Amino acid sequence: QTEPLHTVAPVILSVNWSVSHQIYLDLLWWSSFHLYHKLPSIVPESCLLILVGLLLGGIIFGAEEKSPPVMNSDVFFLYLLPPIVLDAGYFMPTRLFFENFGTIFWYAVVGTLWNAIGIGISLYGICQISAFGLTDITLLQNLLFGSLISAVDPVAVLAVFENIHVNEQLYILVFGESLLNDAITVVLYNLFKSFCQMRTIKVIDIFAGIANFFIVGIGGVLIGILLGFVAAFTTRFTHKIRVIEPLFVFLYSYLSYITAEMFHLSGIMAITACAMTMNKYVEENVSQKSYTTIKYFMKMLSSVSETLIFIFMGVSTVGKNHEWNWAFVSFTLLFCLIWRALGVFVLTQIINVFRTIPLTFKDQFIIAYGGLRGAICFSLVFLLPPAVFPRKKLFITAVIVVIFFTVFIQGITIRPLVEFLDVKRSNKKQPAVSEEIYNRFFDHVKTGIEDVCGHWGHNFWRDKFKKFDNKYLRRLLIRENQPKSSIVSLYKKLEIKHAIEMAESGMISKVPSSVSLSDYHEGKIKPLSPTEMENMREILTKNLYQIRHRTMSYNRHSLAADANEKQAKEILIRRRHSLRESLRKTNSLSRERPAAANTKRFLSLPKNTKLPEKLRVRNKTSSKVGDSSDSEMDATTTVLNLRPRAGKILRDQRLRQQRPPPDFRVEWKNEVDGSQGGRGEPQEPSALPQPSIGFRQPLLTRPRFGTLSREDMTADHGSARPTPPPRLVRQASQGERQRNKPENQPY
Amino acid sequence: MSSANGCPGGCPVPRELTPPSPLSFPPTVTSEQIEHLHRRFKQLSRDQLTIRKENFDSIPDLEFNPIRGKIVHAFFDKRNLRQESDGLADEINFEDFLTIMSYFRPIEMNMDEEQLDRFRKEKLKFLFHMYDSDHDGKITLQEYRNVVEELLSGNPHLEKESARSIADGAMMEAASICGPDQVYEGITFEDFLKMWQGIDIETKMHVRFLNMDTIAHCY
Repeated sequence: QTEPLHTVAPVILSVNWSVSHQIYLDLLWWSSFHLYHKLPSIVPESCLLILVGLLLGGIIFGAEEKSPPVMNSDVFFLYLLPPIVLDAGYFMPTRLFFENFGTIFWYAVVGTLWNAIGIGISLYGICQISAFGLTDITLLQNLLFGSLISAVDPVAVLAVFENIHVNEQLYILVFGESLLNDAITVVLYNLFKSFCQMRTIKVIDIFAGIANFFIVGIGGVLIGILLGFVAAFTTRFTHKIRVIEPLFVFLYSYLSYITAEMFHLSGIMAITACAMTMNKYVEENVSQKSYTTIKYFMKMLSSVSETLIFIFMGVSTVGKNHEWNWAFVSFTLLFCLIWRALGVFVLTQIINVFRTIPLTFKDQFIIAYGGLRGAICFSLVFLLPPAVFPRKKLFITAVIVVIFFTVFIQGITIRPLVEFLDVKRSNKKQPAVSEEIYNRFFDHVKTGIEDVCGHWGHNFWRDKFKKFDNKYLRRLLIRENQPKSSIVSLYKKLEIKHAIEMAESGMISKVPSSVSLSDYHEGKIKPLSPTEMENMREILTKNLYQIRHRTMSYNRHSLAADANEKQAKEILIRRRHSLRESLRKTNSLSRERPAAANTKRFLSLPKNTKLPEKLRVRNKTSSKVGDSSDSEMDATTTVLNLRPRAGKILRDQRLRQQRPPPDFRVEWKNEVDGSQGGRGEPQEPSALPQPSIGFRQPLLTRPRFGTLSREDMTADHGSARPTPPPRLVRQASQGERQRNKPENQPY
Repeated sequence: MSSANGCPGGCPVPRELTPPSPLSFPPTVTSEQIEHLHRRFKQLSRDQLTIRKENFDSIPDLEFNPIRGKIVHAFFDKRNLRQESDGLADEINFEDFLTIMSYFRPIEMNMDEEQLDRFRKEKLKFLFHMYDSDHDGKITLQEYRNVVEELLSGNPHLEKESARSIADGAMMEAASICGPDQVYEGITFEDFLKMWQGIDIETKMHVRFLNMDTIAHCY
């Protein structure tokens, strides 16, 4: 029987205890932190995590009187960094990335070089001033320090930029730069480190260094792409063993990272390239569930890694491995900021000549300001061999100060700055079919014009790549190669999503049998039992899987709709028509049609709301839609009875257009409320918040109707349509208020 | 730049071409760009003064473009040529060619807000005209369906019904943005503007005229 652990290895146990305790506490903190919504918008998560780490480090230091466990650089580079980079590379918008690739590359390579050498040389100049007591730091050491501190960190950038939603172009520039500059950093770091350890440096060594950079960068990318293809090829055959499909994705990407690091190439570039390559092909080969698993697991890993990194950084700050020197630290910080700003400015002037859309001053400011340093610098500084760097602790302190400054000060102030400068933000909205159509249309127009000009533009190369891709790569790497038009797949994806929502909310069972659609049998329409709904859901999911993936090009292959799709299609068509009907019924007053509430509200109906059995719909003859299927009856819409006195309503409307509609709450009533004046409460929800399905309220405020007096009601009673029992009525109080307004008086 | 060569009768190629336009949209094209485009024009027109629709057939890559018809049509659309009349021109000369190309100019740094706005409107109007084939100022459901069908025309087995339902779905989205009437009356230009509000058209809709090598694609 082994001796109890606590006598044998007290150190290990205590370290383990503290580390694991830390992790639990931190994750707990992190999850509770997210419960309070406002905080992440003011303070980026990374700041808070560092603070927590500081706190914990302080506790441990105070309790044990020795430095808390420092983040091991190996742990960082081998375990903590890859998931984050993988996540970033996998979900990177490739199209935008490649469109801006030149600029990104320019900033990453030349910018980092500029920063590194600039900071190094200016710090060396400072060190020469004997008053600061830094004269023992050589030029090479300064250059090395400069190279490691100029690395813009993708982790920190992601953590901060995530909440501020700048427009995609800015985001991709800063983020792409932070990813790509790893190659430069690695090369420079190794170069200067070896120079520091060498006696003499010949010119040939410098050239070797430059060549090394290319090898490191390009080699890393090649390894990544190669392994990405292997991964894609492997997943082509995994349809029998779906359960371990996600494993392949993670394995191959990690393999690419490790392989590249093994050959002293850039692991970050390898894993990024691998992820971007895999993303295209693997997504189509794996099953729906595997895809979801991959996505969520990746996000989970990267979140955990990020949390741990920042917390470790906080913890490692507290301790005895510091040396404070005012001059060095403050000048380091100063030079970092200055050189970054200068660098961005100068480089932008040059690159703007080659860009068709020049970067404005605001963009440049954000790019410069978004150059955050983070854990990579931190780990690199810990990796410095203390024998060669007697002042290592000074470096550590300086790096920590810079990191804290950028993450805290820049991280917190970037959001107000973005708002102040009114930088263009991205508007995240749901993908819409019309947008997809426009984008595709637009691409073709551009390509066409370029063809007419005889010009080889971006689109030309993209087209060429697509053709090559279709001819060779996809055939090889994708199992059932049926590339489909992205418009069709997106449309189907969205509609199926709607259909699933509808099925889940029980709406589907209310569809009447009088729907007259061409090609669809009426026999299929019946209320669905739960098992049938399950089946339908399965069918829909399967179909969703088959057409989930998007490809960038249309194709000439067949796209036959199989039998399963028929049922899904029926649901979709029905839904679409019902929506169209509902939209049609909103107030076009001059057409004397019944108004309907926005369909979105149906989904928020309580389940026992009775829907009208049937409505009579007047054909709209003046519409240009000559579609016979439009004239069907639609029972899934609730009809608000609208008095068909078009003129009066029109006048009401005009008068009410002046006033902004007050907020009102709508409530459902199950019977006619006599006190409200019978059927006189037609309203139009003009002030509702945006529904989440993606249908927005009409931008023109549709005014609400006031209550109608009894006379008008009775006069029109004969021509009024039958009112369904549940209706949308305003709250009594507001109804009363409306009634008494002068404009509501009947004419 | 010798514009006199190979140009019988003398082509009007001023240094800075500003087509007469009541909107004062400043589509200034620089002289090198004009020269490039002139060379291209000569290639397309086989050294004639004007281009007809048939000349566009000689561009091989354009064959693969699904909306080839609309693109060619756009060149001859009188609304794009800034002529007050409507309908299609039979042939266009170099000045008209330049006018069309000027829609695809990249934005310049020195443009102020108002100019940018006008610029954007012009570009969107060009696109709008491509959608609106019957020139009535509105995109109806039928025209939209045509567009989608053409876009998907590369796929011969796609059912017409699918293309139609896609177009319907898109129209409904448009209706949710602009108001439900639009589905029936048609999308007007203002609605069209709204729909493209989120998209950065002025930065995307440009062709890089700068480094152009006119390649002899025609022959």
